[in-house]
Amino acid sequence: MFALLMLLSAAIVMEAPVDTALAMILLILAASNAADAVKDMIYYFTMARHMVGGKMILFKGVVMLDFALLTISLSNIPKSYILTYLVGVHAFSGAVEILRANESRKTVEGPWKMKFAHGLVNIALAALCLIFIKDLEVAVLIYSASLVYSAVLRIIIALRKTAFIVIE
Amino acid sequence: MQMDFHYYATYCAAFLAGYSHEESLDIAYSSQFVDQCSRTLLAKIKAPSDAATTQLQLELMDARTDRVGLQDITRIWSAFHFLPRDLYAEKKGCGKRYLNKYRMICGPNSDLAVKTVELAKGKPLQSVGIAMHVLADTWAHMYFAGTPSLVINNTNYIFFELFPDGEGFKEKPITFAHKTSVPDDPVNSVYTNSLYQSSENSIMNLGHGRAGHLPDYSYARYKYLPAWGEYEEIVKDNPSDYVKAFAQMIYAMKYIRGAIHSFEKDTYDMETVEPLLGRIKEIIEKRQLIACDDWKAFGEELSGQTVTEYAMDRYFDEYTGSSKADRDETFLGRFTRGAIAHKGMVIDEIFKSGSKLAGYAG
Repeated sequence: MFALLMLLSAAIVMEAPVDTALAMILLILAASNAADAVKDMIYYFTMARHMVGGKMILFKGVVMLDFALLTISLSNIPKSYILTYLVGVHAFSGAVEILRANESRKTVEGPWKMKFAHGLVNIALAALCLIFIKDLEVAVLIYSASLVYSAVLRIIIALRKTAFIVIE
Repeated sequence: MQMDFHYYATYCAAFLAGYSHEESLDIAYSSQFVDQCSRTLLAKIKAPSDAATTQLQLELMDARTDRVGLQDITRIWSAFHFLPRDLYAEKKGCGKRYLNKYRMICGPNSDLAVKTVELAKGKPLQSVGIAMHVLADTWAHMYFAGTPSLVINNTNYIFFELFPDGEGFKEKPITFAHKTSVPDDPVNSVYTNSLYQSSENSIMNLGHGRAGHLPDYSYARYKYLPAWGEYEEIVKDNPSDYVKAFAQMIYAMKYIRGAIHSFEKDTYDMETVEPLLGRIKEIIEKRQLIACDDWKAFGEELSGQTVTEYAMDRYFDEYTGSSKADRDETFLGRFTRGAIAHKGMVIDEIFKSGSKLAGYAG
């Protein structure tokens, strides 16, 4: 779902004027974070509060809500700041992907190398965006390319095989 | 539990309960067949799909996790592999949504276990085999639920294997990996388990997937924190539980044969087991991933007959070669009728408790 939203965002960034595109992306990002936050909180209060380690789900919900509020509050600042914020979020997701790949390398069957490369490319594209931040149209184009790349990788990783215990 | 217990140990228990060699083999086959009777197999032999007693890995991967899909999964897994211990259990401060899942936790000596055994009385041997599978699994799969649920079936990093050490036990941390291509390593306590999935109804959160195959190994003793347990550790002593399962199966089958008048909870035929306990414990406590050879040898010592190896397709030709009218009286026809009757009984009981997790038997 998130990958499809990323593809949609990339299409908007490529087609629409820079101002509109950035505003739309902020809206999509904020709405998806807010929806995730609400879902996590409902799940916590109805189910996960009785679960060992369930508070993590509440914390995740609160952090996501924070992100959503922060994202939506950014609409009236200079465009280059908005893009810097979006690029930062993208780089952060790349760093998380690298950490997950490292964890997977030790224990999980599957394409950890793909995950690792995904994280690295995300960070590299984010850096590239920052280098071209003064030429906003180029930076936006690089950002949209990185969204497409991320979305495709996410879809491939989501379809990979994972260990499943056959119960007897 | 695996084929070692569901087929070979069940043969031994049936023989000790007074069944003949041939009858014991039929009961053992039926008990083991519960782990094979998937919709894919039933479609292949043109049998009713409602009789499915398990789901293949691919079937589960394709399974829907909407309400109807979840009901289908729950019907199969809670009825045949994770019989709920207490459908009316209470837990302070919990809402209905949580409680419905909590009540699906499997355990032995439940009202449903009694109903399962009673239902098999007066029925063909196939129904006896099905009941023995369900009864045995209540011991192995204790503390996990036959419905996908993160809040019930999840485990965390606190997981230790226990080794006898003098009067007590020595703890060794268990390492879990998610590589199915690498077999479990009991020497170094490295086991495969399902990946953590934060979605409540993910198929990865069905049954004991998060604890890997540890509940299926008769030698395993371990300590862990179940997701539902309010941070209280649970010690699972499989050797002790498997002996109880074996003794309870003998007792249950004596009841089904009519040698005992009633089937009571928490009652075990230790009188029959006691003289053989040393030999049984030797098999159960041996650190091996599958104990088929040992149970087979034990069964042959008991009956003096050859215990034929389990062959899943043993009765397929008889079933497919019969006319539709005669199929009900074939071996597999009796099995499917027994499976449908048992599944219906469990769904009905879950529905009567006010939960719609398994749907309605109709």
